[in-house]
Amino acid sequence: MSGARHSLWLACALLVAAAAVLLLGAGVGSTGFDSVLNAHNDPVAWQILWDIRLPRTLGAWVAGGLLGLAGAVAQGLFRNPLADPYLLGSASGAALGVALALALFGTSPFATQWLVRLGLTSAAFAGAVLGVVLTLALAKGVQHTLRLLLAGVIVGVVLGAGRDLVTIASPDTLQAMQGFMLGSTGFVGWAACGVMAAMLLVAVLVAASLGRVLDGLALGESTALSLGLPLGAVRGVLVAVLALATGAAVAQTGLIAFVGLASPHLVRSIVKTTHARLLVLSALMGGLLLMAADVLARWIIAPQELPVGVLTAVLGGSYLLWLMHRRRRPGSAL
Amino acid sequence: MKHALHTTGIGVSLGGTPVLHSVDVAFEASRWTSVVGPNGAGKSTLLKVLAGLLPHSGQVQLMDRPLGQWRGRERARCLAWLGQGEQGADDLSVWDVAMLGRLPHQPWLVPPSHADRVAVEQALRATQAWDWRERPLGALSGGERQRVLLARLLAVDADVLLMDEPLANLDPPHQADWLLLVRELVAQGKTVVSVLHEIGMALHADQMVVMAQGRVVHQGACADPVTHLALEDVFDHRIAIHPLGDQWVALPR
Amino acid sequence: MLIGRWLSAVALLCWAGALHAAGLQVTDDRGVVVSLPQSPQRIVSLLPSLTETVCELGQCHRLVGVDRYSNHPASVRALPKAGGGIDPNIEAIVALKPDVVLMATSSRGVQRLEALGLKVLAMEPKSSADAQRVMGKLGQLLEVPDAQRIWRAIDAGVMAAAQSLPPGARSLRVYYEVSAGGYAAGTQSFIGELMARLGVQNIVTPDLGPFPRINPEYVVRANPDLIMIGARNVHGMAQRPGWSGMRALREQRVCVFTAEESDVLVRPGPRMAEAARVMARCISEKGLR
Repeated sequence: MSGARHSLWLACALLVAAAAVLLLGAGVGSTGFDSVLNAHNDPVAWQILWDIRLPRTLGAWVAGGLLGLAGAVAQGLFRNPLADPYLLGSASGAALGVALALALFGTSPFATQWLVRLGLTSAAFAGAVLGVVLTLALAKGVQHTLRLLLAGVIVGVVLGAGRDLVTIASPDTLQAMQGFMLGSTGFVGWAACGVMAAMLLVAVLVAASLGRVLDGLALGESTALSLGLPLGAVRGVLVAVLALATGAAVAQTGLIAFVGLASPHLVRSIVKTTHARLLVLSALMGGLLLMAADVLARWIIAPQELPVGVLTAVLGGSYLLWLMHRRRRPGSAL
Repeated sequence: MKHALHTTGIGVSLGGTPVLHSVDVAFEASRWTSVVGPNGAGKSTLLKVLAGLLPHSGQVQLMDRPLGQWRGRERARCLAWLGQGEQGADDLSVWDVAMLGRLPHQPWLVPPSHADRVAVEQALRATQAWDWRERPLGALSGGERQRVLLARLLAVDADVLLMDEPLANLDPPHQADWLLLVRELVAQGKTVVSVLHEIGMALHADQMVVMAQGRVVHQGACADPVTHLALEDVFDHRIAIHPLGDQWVALPR
Repeated sequence: MLIGRWLSAVALLCWAGALHAAGLQVTDDRGVVVSLPQSPQRIVSLLPSLTETVCELGQCHRLVGVDRYSNHPASVRALPKAGGGIDPNIEAIVALKPDVVLMATSSRGVQRLEALGLKVLAMEPKSSADAQRVMGKLGQLLEVPDAQRIWRAIDAGVMAAAQSLPPGARSLRVYYEVSAGGYAAGTQSFIGELMARLGVQNIVTPDLGPFPRINPEYVVRANPDLIMIGARNVHGMAQRPGWSGMRALREQRVCVFTAEESDVLVRPGPRMAEAARVMARCISEKGLR
C-alpha cells in the first residue's frame, strides 16, 4: 500500500536528517568547532563534546519526540486538529507539579542525580495527569470541541495561577521557576536523556499499539462503539500516555511551545496514513524540529544563545504558514 | 429463530426530552425491514438503541439474547451499524477505512489476516469503490464517500446490518446498485434494517415499520395496503402511494 | 628570646604549609563543603554582587568569566560572558576551565555544573548579615587576609551617611519599590536594614517578609513621606489608583534612581556604603522640605 511506503520513506528521511543535525550539533556552541578539533588532546574539549553537546542535542531530539507524540495523541483522541498538550492543561499541570516539588524539596544537596531527575519527572507527570483530568471533567467528556478547548484554556489559566501562588508563597523558588518556564535544552545531561528516552520508548509503543482504535474513533464515537472498541479503557490509557509524555518533556526542558501542535500537521502535510504510523512519525518529526531549533539557538548568535522556544515557533510556524499559503487553492481542507 | 431483533418497551430521553415512548418492535430474520416516518419521529434514535449505542429503558434482544449480555466484540461481529453523515477520517485511504470494518475480527496487535483482506476487497468491489482504494477519503465526493462507508459496513460481515440513511448523496444508478446489494444480502440470510426517507425505495423492502412522534404506529409487509394507509396517515395525507408495475411510488398529493 | 621567636616562626610556617597541603575547604550557603587543592586561580562569577566582592578583595585578575549583568568595575565588562543568573551557558562555563564557579543558590545550573565535575559555591546574600558572611567566605576562598576590612569600610560609610542626615530624618516614613510589580524592600532585606541604619521608618511592617509584593492600596493608606523607586519601574506610577492624590506625589517627594544608582542599591555587595550615600542624598534632597 502506498501509504505504508510513503510513511517508510518519511521515517527514513527524518532519521537521516536527525543524524545529520546531531553531527552538526556536536560541532556548534560557544566554543565553535574548535572543541571538536581539539577533542583528542584536550580533556575539557572532550568533555564539552561528549558531556555537554551530545546529551543536549540528543536530549532535544528525545524531548521533541515526546512532545510530538503527545500532540499526535491529543489530536487523535479528541479528533481536533487544534489539540495540543498546552491547550489541554497538561503542560500547565506539569509546571505546577514542578513548582510544588521545588517548593517542598528545594535544591536538596542530599538528593542523588537520578533521584532528582526522577522526582521532578514524577511531579511533572502527576501534575500533567491532574491538568488533563480537570480539563475532561470541566468539558464533561470529549464530544464538544469548543467546550473542550475552552475547558483546556480555563484549566491552563487556573493551574498557572496556582503555580504563581506557589512561587509567591516560597519566593526562593521564584528564580528557579522563571528559569524553568523559559524552556531550555541547556541543562540536559546523559541522565536526563536516559530518563526521557525510556519514557519515549514506552509511550510510543503503547500509543502505536492503540493506533487502530484511534482510526476507528476517527469515524465518530458511535461508529467506534458499534465496532466493539473498548473506548473508555483506551481513552484512559491514551490520556495517561499524553500526561506521561508531556510531563517527562516538561520536567527536563521546561515549557517549549508549538512542537506538540505542529508536528502532526507537518507529518500530515507530507503523508496521509493511519494513526499508528502517524504517531511514530510525529515523534520523529517533533524530535527533528526541537533538535534543529536547539542547534540553531546555539549557532545564530554564538557564543550566546537564543531561547529555544522562539526558534521552534519560527521554524514550525513559518513552514505551516507557507503550507497554508500554498494550499489556498479551492478544494483543500487546510 | 424468527426475530433477529426484538424490543420491549424502549424509552429514550435525550437532554431531558423524551424521544421514544414505549416502543415494541420486532425485526424478522433474513428479511429487509425499512423504518420510515416524518422528521423527528425517532427513527435514528431507534436504530442507535438497537445497536446498543444509547442508554434506554426497556429491553433489546439480539438473536433471542438480551443485548446487555453480549460482549462488545462479539456483538460487533454479529451486528453492524452505519450512522448518518459520518465525518472525519479524511486522511485514511479508502482501503484503510474499509479495513476498519474488520476491527471486531482482529485481535489486538495482530496485522490484518488473509481473510480480512479478502473481505475488504469483496466489500469494496460490491460498492464499486475498489478502483480508488489508494485515495484518501477526504479527496472523494459525497457519493463516493458514502459508498466507501457502506463498504466499511459490509466488510464487518455481520449477520444483522443497521443502516441510517444509506442512500445519502448517492445518484440513482448507485441507489439501484444498493438495492441489488441489499437483496443479495438478504438472500444470503442476513437481516437488514434501514432508515430511509426516500419512501419509494423504502417500499421495496419486505417489511416496514412506520413511526411517528416517538412511537411505532404500524408494522407490516410492504405489499400490504394497510401499511400504505398507515404511511399516508402518518404524513398527514400529503402523499399518495400508487402502484407502478411491480413497484410502488409515493407522490405528493 | 631569639630562639623562641625563631621557633614560633618555624611553627607558623609548618602550620601554614600543612594547611596549604591539606587544601582549602569552604562551605557554601547550601551546606555543601567544597574542597579545593589550593586557592582558585580561575573563577567564574554568575552573580553581580559576588563579582564586585571578588574585585573589591583585589582579585579581579582571577576572574575568567562573568554573567551578563555584572558590570562593575569597568574591567569585568571585557570578560567573556557566560549567560545570565537564571540561564547560565553551561558550555561557555566549562570551556573557561574554572577552578570554581560562584553562583546564586536558586540558579538552575548548579546541579548540572556539579554533574560535569565543576566545583560550585552557591551563595545568595539577602540581608546585611548574609552579605557580611559571604564577604568573609570569599575572603577565605581567595586567601585574602582581613576580608572583614571591606565590611568595616561599609559600616563606616553607612554611619557617616547616617550622621550626615539632619535629625528630622528620623521621623520620615519611606517606601522603596525595588522591582516592577510592586515588590517592596521589607525590613529584613539588606535595603531595609540600610534604611533602618539611616534612621528612617519603613512603611512595610516586619511581618511581611524581606521582599513582599505590596498592594498599591496599602501604600496609599500608609501615606509615606518619601517614595524611592528605580527609573525602570517609575513608568505609570502616577496612574495607579489613588496614588496621584498621595502627599508624596503631590509634593514631588519621589526619588527616581537611575540605572547605575539602582544597580548600586540592589546589590548586597561592597558598594553598600555608596548605596547608603545615594539614599542619604535622596532623603536630604527630597525627603525634607
